[in-house]
Amino acid sequence: MLIRDPRVTASIARTAQLVAKRGGVRFIKPDVFTGYALISPAVFLMLVLLAYPFVLAVYISLSDRLLGEPGKFIWFGNFIKLLQDTYFRQTVWNSFVYTVTTVTLKLLLGLALALLLNQEFPCRNWVRGALLLPWIVPTSLSVLTWLWMFDSLFSVINYILLGLGLISKKIPWLGDTFWAMVSVIIVNTWRGLPFFAISFLAGLMAIPRELYEAAEVDGARTFRKFWHVTLPLLQPVIAVVVLFSTIWTFADFQIVYILTHGGPLNATQIFATMAYDVALVAGRIGEGAAVSLFLFPALLIVIILILRYLRQE
Amino acid sequence: MKPKEKRTKTPREGRAISRRKFIAMTAGATAALSLGTFIRSGLGATNLRILSWSNTLKAMDDYLRELGEQYAKKKGIGISFEFIHMNDLPTKTAAAVESGAGPDIVNLWSDGPHLHAKALVDVGDLCEGLGKELKGWTDIGKDIAIVDKTWKAVPWGIIPIALTYREDWLKEVGYSTFPDTWGELLKASKKLKDKGHPVGFSLGRAMGDANQFHYPLLWAFGGAECKKDAKTVAINSPETAKAVDYRRELHKVGETDDVYAWDDAANNRAFLAEAVSITVNAASIYWAAKKSAPQLRPVTNHALFPVGPKGRYGYSTALSLGIFKFSKNQKTAKEFIRWLMEPKQYSAWIGMGEGMMAGLLNFYEDDPVWKKDPKLETVRQIPKYVRMPGYPGPPSRPAAEAMIKFVIVNMFARACKGMSTAETIKIAESELKEIYGKA
Repeated sequence: MLIRDPRVTASIARTAQLVAKRGGVRFIKPDVFTGYALISPAVFLMLVLLAYPFVLAVYISLSDRLLGEPGKFIWFGNFIKLLQDTYFRQTVWNSFVYTVTTVTLKLLLGLALALLLNQEFPCRNWVRGALLLPWIVPTSLSVLTWLWMFDSLFSVINYILLGLGLISKKIPWLGDTFWAMVSVIIVNTWRGLPFFAISFLAGLMAIPRELYEAAEVDGARTFRKFWHVTLPLLQPVIAVVVLFSTIWTFADFQIVYILTHGGPLNATQIFATMAYDVALVAGRIGEGAAVSLFLFPALLIVIILILRYLRQE
Repeated sequence: MKPKEKRTKTPREGRAISRRKFIAMTAGATAALSLGTFIRSGLGATNLRILSWSNTLKAMDDYLRELGEQYAKKKGIGISFEFIHMNDLPTKTAAAVESGAGPDIVNLWSDGPHLHAKALVDVGDLCEGLGKELKGWTDIGKDIAIVDKTWKAVPWGIIPIALTYREDWLKEVGYSTFPDTWGELLKASKKLKDKGHPVGFSLGRAMGDANQFHYPLLWAFGGAECKKDAKTVAINSPETAKAVDYRRELHKVGETDDVYAWDDAANNRAFLAEAVSITVNAASIYWAAKKSAPQLRPVTNHALFPVGPKGRYGYSTALSLGIFKFSKNQKTAKEFIRWLMEPKQYSAWIGMGEGMMAGLLNFYEDDPVWKKDPKLETVRQIPKYVRMPGYPGPPSRPAAEAMIKFVIVNMFARACKGMSTAETIKIAESELKEIYGKA
């Protein structure tokens, strides 16, 4: 039926116009704007909370600024001075020993733990949950407990080891240059292990069973299944976890600060604790910033390489 | 469709506040609160903010807060104290200095007035007035607070560091009084260790105790890290060598090996656990014994640092109160500090400390607190002997850096671990040259 009534046609036209207008907001404008609008708060936060402090830190590290005084721009003066500083060279060495050892230990133990937790056994979920405890407890609190366990007089670890007859003299956990490094490594490994184990476990659970069945059909035993199926498929997870952990460990502060404060004889002084002492206690902000940014170029290259590898994957 | 009103409400729903009402109420309350704050802050009401360390003796902080309230009431202003752990004080102070915002009054530690001089107001009028009224300032008070002839802070007090020792054990080995020279102390330590009661002075990263023991030892033998100009490194001297040799011997014959691991709290624990006979500390061990080991209190006493070839020295943490240049309440801040330092308030405050705090105005040397307990008599004398790292130069940024890097303590520690005297001094010298070279 054809509508001839002019009032009706006008009304229809108006409705159509309205619909077009309302729809316009939704469809005519390109989606991109909506996208930008939606991510802008996040970008804003990143700029304010990450980019600004970072750029400021870089700027400060290139100046001879003291606390409360402006200082002047000295290009790479701080970095060159640091390289000549024996105290700093020891800090670099300590940081590498600390990071490489703990990340390796966490990687090996984490993998072993994840493989173990991937097996069927009673109370499996309960154990998996409990595993996260060291990761959940605030670091400073758990490290204070470790401080007591390593105490020169009351060390429960020494007490047990002596009781079992495994040692004849108490170990000077925090009082000896070698043992102090061992102590901070133990605590860092203990604390970081759950992150490794749980991430690896998630990776393991994502590997399809069929692949193992196929490998079994081809006659692969446990080790070859691990080597040819598990490890290659777990590689991206390993790469990400190692990357994160390396960055975190290089920037670690709490464990060393609470346990040894960098001592004895600077044996456990690492980047963050040294930067804190130099910048905030001695007031050399410029040099302190340089200490904390010293590894940035090296870490950046590692990050780029790992991210590129992940993209290829 | 059923009309809405006909739906019967449950008793619970009847009491509940509707969403709209809730939002309106919260918004109203927030607006009222912020308006109140706005009026308080905006219409001339002064609010004085003070950042201070949180004292080991909580009662002292509580009393300060109470004083603040009293004063605030009297003057019709607001006063708020923020007490934080002493280790966080440098960070918070640094943040305030850098950002130009924060508390009006800041509690500075030892070399603080020198490190932050540019951010602090000149308080010369206040300090000189107090000095005139209260018998003048001690040398150490002036040393910490005067930077380039300007008073940058008001010396607030000192945490006197003494040698804390076991009287009964010392008697057992033939000493009725504490050995007065470093030489005698060595002999006594050997006898004590032979009896199973070694001495213990931290050689670890104890920012307080380790530095507080080793600087005075170095000075007593005539050694110094730098010359009076606070620029020329002077650690490599025969006097330093004598101090190092002495320390090595003391460690070998009389000390426990645990000292390498000791932080600031470890020696307190060791003393209270009866594992060491002599250690270095504030009166806090004596005070803590009251609660945790009352049987030790009668046999615990304090002694001054022994005399060495070049005299008697000590190094204690000194506190001062500075006013930031960015503060809008500088006048009120000065008046409040002045009021705090008056005998009525100040004496009551240090009285609560039982030897934890000593005044830096000569007037307070005869404070009633020192007559409360004969065992605090030695503590009373400590401010006289106290010098700051960097001595004979003034406290300075390089001296502070050398201390936080444990240059002096580590020099002694390496020797105790077996390194030759010449070698360990050489390492310290090169570290000091790196630090002083930057100034």
